[in-house]
Order: sequence, then C-alpha cells, then structure tokens
Amino acid sequence: MPENRPPPALLKARRVKLLDIVVISIVAVVVIAIYYRVEHVLVYRWNWGLVFEYFIRIDEVTGDILPNLFLKGVAMTLRLAFWGTIIAAVIGIVMGLCRVSNSLFLKSVSRLYVELIRNIPPVVFIFVFYFFISSQIIPLLGLDNIAYTASPNTIAVLEILFGPIGIFTNFLAGLICLAVFEGAYITEIVRAGIQSIGKGQWEAARAGGLSRFFVLRDVILPQALKTILPPLASQFIILVKDSSIVSLISVQELTFLTQDVSNTTTQFFESWMLTAALYFMMCFPLAMLFQRFERTGLGIQKH
Amino acid sequence: MKTKSIFTALAAVALIAFSGLAGANSQELSADSALEEIKKRGVLRVGMSTFVPWAMRDKQGNLIGFEIDVATKVAEDMGVEIEFVPTAWSGIIPALIARKFDVIIGGMSITPGRNLTVNFTAPYAHSGQQMVANIELAEGFALSDFNSSDVTISCRRGATPCNIAQNMFPKANLSRFDDDAQAFQEVVNGNSHAMISSAPKPRFWTNRYPDKVFMPVDENLTVGDEAFALRKGDPDALNFFSNWILVNTSNGWLQERHDFWFKTQTWADQVEEQ
Repeated sequence: MPENRPPPALLKARRVKLLDIVVISIVAVVVIAIYYRVEHVLVYRWNWGLVFEYFIRIDEVTGDILPNLFLKGVAMTLRLAFWGTIIAAVIGIVMGLCRVSNSLFLKSVSRLYVELIRNIPPVVFIFVFYFFISSQIIPLLGLDNIAYTASPNTIAVLEILFGPIGIFTNFLAGLICLAVFEGAYITEIVRAGIQSIGKGQWEAARAGGLSRFFVLRDVILPQALKTILPPLASQFIILVKDSSIVSLISVQELTFLTQDVSNTTTQFFESWMLTAALYFMMCFPLAMLFQRFERTGLGIQKH
Repeated sequence: MKTKSIFTALAAVALIAFSGLAGANSQELSADSALEEIKKRGVLRVGMSTFVPWAMRDKQGNLIGFEIDVATKVAEDMGVEIEFVPTAWSGIIPALIARKFDVIIGGMSITPGRNLTVNFTAPYAHSGQQMVANIELAEGFALSDFNSSDVTISCRRGATPCNIAQNMFPKANLSRFDDDAQAFQEVVNGNSHAMISSAPKPRFWTNRYPDKVFMPVDENLTVGDEAFALRKGDPDALNFFSNWILVNTSNGWLQERHDFWFKTQTWADQVEEQ
C-alpha cells in the first residue's frame, strides 16, 4: 500500500569538504590533460569563428542579423520536440490505459505495439516506417503536393508551425515516426504508474459505487501521476535528443544541418561541440522545469 | 563517388513490400513521365547531399557547388523553378523511389548494383579518386608499399574510396568513418598511413597541411562516371536529361563549370576563412 509521503526535503547548502576539493581537483587535472592532448598532440586547426558564422549571419545587403543553419536547426528540433511530445503523450496515455483495460483485444494491441517498438533499434524502425508513411499515408491524406496547391495564408501558418513548406511532408513523416516510437515508452510508464497503485484501492472505490472510468480519473490517476512524472520527464528529455535520429530521413533539424556544416567547413570538432551545447541548452531547462513540477506535484494532490 | 549502404537496400525492400506495383501501358507512359509532373508543378525538385565541392553551404547558409550550378541550369532550360531537397546520402535512392524529388543530381557514380534500382543518364562528370598520406609514416612509399598488413588506410564508409582501397590494397587494414573529414583527421594525426577520397579534396588538404601530409601519386587512382539518377520506367525523362548533358558537354559548359569547382579554389573564401 502506498503511503502519503511528505514532499522531498529541499537540499540545504553544505560546506565544501575535503573530499569535494579532492574530486574537483581530479576533474580539473583531467580537463587540463585533455585540453593539452587536443592542443599539442592532435593536429587540428581550430576555427570557432567560421563555425559561429553558421550560427548567426549578417545579411550582405541589408546588414540585418539573421539566423543561420545552426539556429534554423534548433528551431526545427524545437518544433519536432513540441509536437512530438504532445502526440507521444496522447499515444502513450491511450495505449497505457489499453494496457490495463479488461478487454483482451485492447490489451493485445497495446502489448504488440510496445513490444514491436521496444525490440527493434530506433534507426531501423525510423528508416522502414518512414518509407511506409511517406509512400502510403501522406499521398492518402493528399498532402504530397501541398507546397504547390495550398493558399499562401495556409502556407504561412503551416510554416510557423511545422517549418519550411518544401519539406513539410518529410517533417510530418519524421514527426509521426518519432511520436510513435517514443509513445511506446510512455505507454509502459503509464502502465507501470497505474499498476503501482494497490489493488485494494480499485476494489474499495468500485465497492463505493464508482464506475471504472471515475475510479481511474478520481482515485488511481492522481496517485499514479506521482510515480509517472519522474520517468515521464526523463522520457520527454530523451525525445528531444532522439529527434536527432530523424536527420537520417532528411528532416532539416539540428543534427542534419550540423552534418552539412561540418562536411562543408571540415571543422567537425567545433560543429559538433556547438551542437552538443545547443542540445544541452534545450534539454537542461526542460529538466529544471520537470523538477519543479515534481516538487509542486502539478497541484494535483490538493484534494 | 559514393555507394549505397545497407539502409538503402533495407528501405528499398520495405518500399517494394509496401507499395503496389504500378502498371502502365505505353500510352500512359509519357503522360506519367516526371517531365509532365515537373512542368505542371512549375518546380524541378532535385535530391542532393552535401559533398565538397559538389554541393556545399556558403557562409550565408545557401547551397553552392558544381552540381548546384548544374541543377540550376537544368531548371532554367526547362523554364521551371529549382528546389533542392538535401537528403542523407544513405537514404537518397529510397527517397527518389518514394517520389520525394524528381531526380538525384548528387555526384552519384554509376554502379551496376545501383543501376538495378534506378536509371542513370549519360555521365555529366568524371571525378577521380586521389590519395593523401602521412609524411612521417609513408614518406617514400610507392603505391605497392601501401598493400601491406602494417598499413592502415582510412576512408568514408559506404563510399567508392573504401571499395578502391579494398581492391588496390587488399592486405591493408581499412578504417571506416562517417565522413571524409574524420578519415583525413586520422591521417594528419598519424593513426592512418593514408586515406582515399574523391578529387580535389586530397589536393586541398595537402595544400593546407604541407608539412604533415603529401600525395604519393599526383594522378588520380581511378576515374568514375557520375550521372543523374531517375526512377525506373520513365524513358522520357531519361531521354531529356541525357540529352541535356550531351548538349552541355558538347558546348563546353559542363567542362567549364567542372574546372571552376574542381581545379580552382577561388570559391573557397565563401566557405572558409583564408
């Protein structure tokens, strides 16, 4: 039986101890050693300036400061992450509820979905699934020529939401792949969360006359959310990073454009280090945000 | 220049499995040609992949390079707009078959294996492969000296250079990388004796690090045939693009553009600081 746990104590600032100093010094020595190796042993001409030009550019004619490839890639990755999170969450919640339903059919469908996705490598899944989507689903939806048939207003809205219209169908296919892939993991998180609530609670609530739907909504899910939230948060962060896989199917997100820059300039260390920093800057605030949710419990535990 | 990888094969299999076989008799053929689709749309969609100096990103983020010039002129001559679809190399053939674009103008060399999956036009370029070696490790080596089990040769995975290395130096160890820059870095750092890449990159690198690397032979190791790739079953488009290449070979335009991108480096300040 789960108990009502008190909220986790806030970390208090502690004094720096001897062990801390030792650990910090070791880390510093390693960093310096790596820097020395790179600087004096590796034959490589560093050129950060060149790579930064691919971050923001100054228009030659108007003198405006404009985003260049890296920033465009970040925008695309954020779009993928935003829509991917929403779709994956919906898939995950629906499939997660199916996993714990009484219907053998729903149970089997969601089980099949989870096991199929979890047991093939993401790269293989995305590659095969992408060609299925782009050769079957997208023509079925009549979207394959949208860039040439849609009205200018529609295109303007679509471009804000989904990026350049010329690669809209690629984006859509990549997005569906990503969401279906991540949804399987969210399904398992939701299932585990619901099953972590003791059977007694189900029985008690049902005995109290609540229907299955209200038991789930009012009794089980509010408690389960507490278990679900931490792994869910880390799954969303993983989704941001996994979005790099769709570079394989030519969605022009951060990883794909980094490859372009590093191939063109041959400054691949700078290109990839900058990209690593950019991914970190996208994921870290997300981690902080979820940590905050965890602490406040999203305001759900109040009643 | 580049060869298809296992993913290409995998995706092609998936594609054939998922899509029904489209039947067409000869009357429908010309109406179904990609040419008609391009004219109706008013846009030529070209699949390509970044590869110096075929297609690169200048500092403004725009695409420049030999095949960018070629594709732009093709569209101009057809009286339509050009649209480039940058595509990951390993998935470029499946993407063509999945109709993501009309034609691959991507420095793709003709190989019998690929030709079973796609149609090739007449070649529009003949790029060679060159070798660059580490001075400390391979000074004074003749070509035959590289065929030894003590030698490591690095090359770009899934690309022609790895096949050439295997054929010419069967005893040498191959070290495969995702892109040329990494393969070359291994040579400068002395982890590989040499690397093979398509011209003119090895020569550019030799100019850049003259005290670290050299070219064991000045002439190209092999000569390739690069052509446009099209979906099968479209003789009209094949005829049009092949003859476009024929005309622009005869009038010298292709040679002039090729020399500009491959023999001079006057464009280099658009992609790097001098």
